[in-house]
Amino acid sequence: MELLVLIKPVPDPETRLRPNAAGTNLDTDGVKWVLTGYDESAVEQALLLKEAIPGSKVRAIAFGPAPRTEEILRSALALGCDAATWVEQPADTPTDPMRAAAALTVACQKTPFDLILVGKQALDDEAGLVGPALAERLGIADYGPVVDVRWDAAGRRFTFARAVEGGSDRVSAPTPLVVCLQQAWNDPRTAKLQNVLKARRIAIDKVTWAEVAAGIGSAAPGTHVTAFRLPPPRTGAKMIEYRTPDEAAQKLVRLLREEAKVLP
Amino acid sequence: MSSSVLVVVEIRNGAPVRASLEALGVGRRIAGPPGSGTVTAVLLGSGSESSSTTVAERGVDKVLSVADPRFDAFHAVVWAAAIAAIAREIDAGTILVAGTSNGRELVGRLAARWEAAAVNGVADLSLAADGTLMAVRPVFSGRALQEVRVDQTRAVLGLRPNAFTAPEPSGSKASVEAHPTPDLGQLPALGVVSGFEPAQTGSGPDLSEALVVVSGGRGLRGPENFRLLEDLAGALGGAIGASRAVTDSGWKPASFQVGQTGRTVSPQLYIAVGISGAIQHVVGMISSRTIVAINSDPNAPIFKVADYGVVGDLFQIVPALTAEIRRVRGS
Ligand SMILES: Cc1cc2nc3c(=O)[nH]c(=O)nc-3n(C[C@H](O)[C@H](O)[C@H](O)COP(=O)(O)OP(=O)(O)OC[C@H]3O[C@@H](n4cnc5c(N)ncnc54)[C@H](O)[C@@H]3O)c2cc1C
Repeated sequence: MELLVLIKPVPDPETRLRPNAAGTNLDTDGVKWVLTGYDESAVEQALLLKEAIPGSKVRAIAFGPAPRTEEILRSALALGCDAATWVEQPADTPTDPMRAAAALTVACQKTPFDLILVGKQALDDEAGLVGPALAERLGIADYGPVVDVRWDAAGRRFTFARAVEGGSDRVSAPTPLVVCLQQAWNDPRTAKLQNVLKARRIAIDKVTWAEVAAGIGSAAPGTHVTAFRLPPPRTGAKMIEYRTPDEAAQKLVRLLREEAKVLP
Repeated sequence: MSSSVLVVVEIRNGAPVRASLEALGVGRRIAGPPGSGTVTAVLLGSGSESSSTTVAERGVDKVLSVADPRFDAFHAVVWAAAIAAIAREIDAGTILVAGTSNGRELVGRLAARWEAAAVNGVADLSLAADGTLMAVRPVFSGRALQEVRVDQTRAVLGLRPNAFTAPEPSGSKASVEAHPTPDLGQLPALGVVSGFEPAQTGSGPDLSEALVVVSGGRGLRGPENFRLLEDLAGALGGAIGASRAVTDSGWKPASFQVGQTGRTVSPQLYIAVGISGAIQHVVGMISSRTIVAINSDPNAPIFKVADYGVVGDLFQIVPALTAEIRRVRGS
């Protein structure tokens, strides 16, 4: 089975967020870019499938600027992916999630696939647009947010749960298919040092921006981020002073009704 | 930009979901007062006729009901095909979608189908003087805010639940039209939805939609003590959540877990009981409007993110709080 897994470099979740000088975006100076969150889950799920279904191959694909995008692909290779495709985004070329989906579609069309795994959203911009938009462009079905993926022996049909409000829908779907993962493993695999070294020697295929532009047309992205700011800092809780639990409850309820106005 | 707005209304358990009603209010606001721009609501699936009446009294100009059982199970590809066709028919400029699980998945697919710009997770929306849409959306788990400008004449916007106010029913009723199923074009091979499994989250509202969430942590000491939180949540009409310490110990199923590897919630009121406030928990609840923490340790990090704190024994504070809420609510 041919598996594609789409990943994106995002700032380490521990990053102290700061706007850039113009206040238009995250200041990326000194940011460490990592594979994390649902993308990490997508890689883990792809590798579990590869181990379970003989003859499977996993290709990791990422769209973004150098050098962080290649680095993230190297980490996917070190975890056990067989091949990688870097979809080039020249520095200073504006993009948005819908354009990222279009660019990734160009890369997916260059390689055979049965199943495409993506995180249901990236941990940075949390747009959740890429998987469904990519599936529409490829003309195949997509399902998300997905947990608990199971498969038949041949890898032709997958069953999984779509997490929806109040419960989950059980779905069984044939390939070709895009699955937007919500699954979270508390302990996804980590790369062994020898595999990190080996991954450095694997050639990464490249889809150039010229090829992307030819595939998606030259129209500007449909959205632009015009400001990036931090919410007003939380200054710490107003602490309730009290002598008895009843007094604490009365004071708290009064504040919730009269000051916070969250209780009728 | 066409000031015709199409609002997708999702039906659950035979009624429109509240987040969709919130979207109707946003639709009215960006279309302008009745007479200037039009707001059309569209409902898909067998339940659409009976839900149409509720929708018709919420300030819309027209309700389209496509009562075709093919839409009963949610397949993003089928919904996107139908809604894009209707949007073309009515020459819509903006499509609004409530950010439920289905809605979040629909936005990207629909925008690709309808050749539109897309923004998901919108928490605030305004119109610049020239009619340009400006969206504000929390990013990085609510640790930052992004302002996004829409530069295309067509846009699909996914709205965060609980971020906007649902309009109250008004006296006037818009016309409800039964709409035939649009031409869906050639559809790819679809999955089969074989059934719905309700999450074991008790009888209250769903965690990710509740206006009040009461979450318990390791400080509860055992599953039997969650009864205290159920009483409190019951008095507030809220849902129960939990820290990972609780779900890992099996005191509550994983579907209760709030945080980085669990659910993200943004209720009006979040009450953290016996939860220390680890960053992995906090990212799942930080965008709540008001946060209350009850913890016996005055140095617990949860007090840094809370708005109101009570240092004390939860086994004394929580019952007192439940009693006080029942008292003021007169029940
Ligand atoms: C990769 C990763 C992902 C994670 N994802 C999540 C996640 O999604 N969600 C999540 O919640 N955690 C997550 N965690 C775990 C997180 O780091 C914490 O371990 C967890 O949140 C702690 O749960 P807790 O606050 O209930 O327990 P503790 O940290 O043990 O805190 C218990 C609190 O109860 C208080 N207490 C005790 N007795 C009383 C009493 N009688 N009255 C009042 N207060 C009392 C104590 O003072 C203490 O502050 C993750 C960790 C990792 C490494």
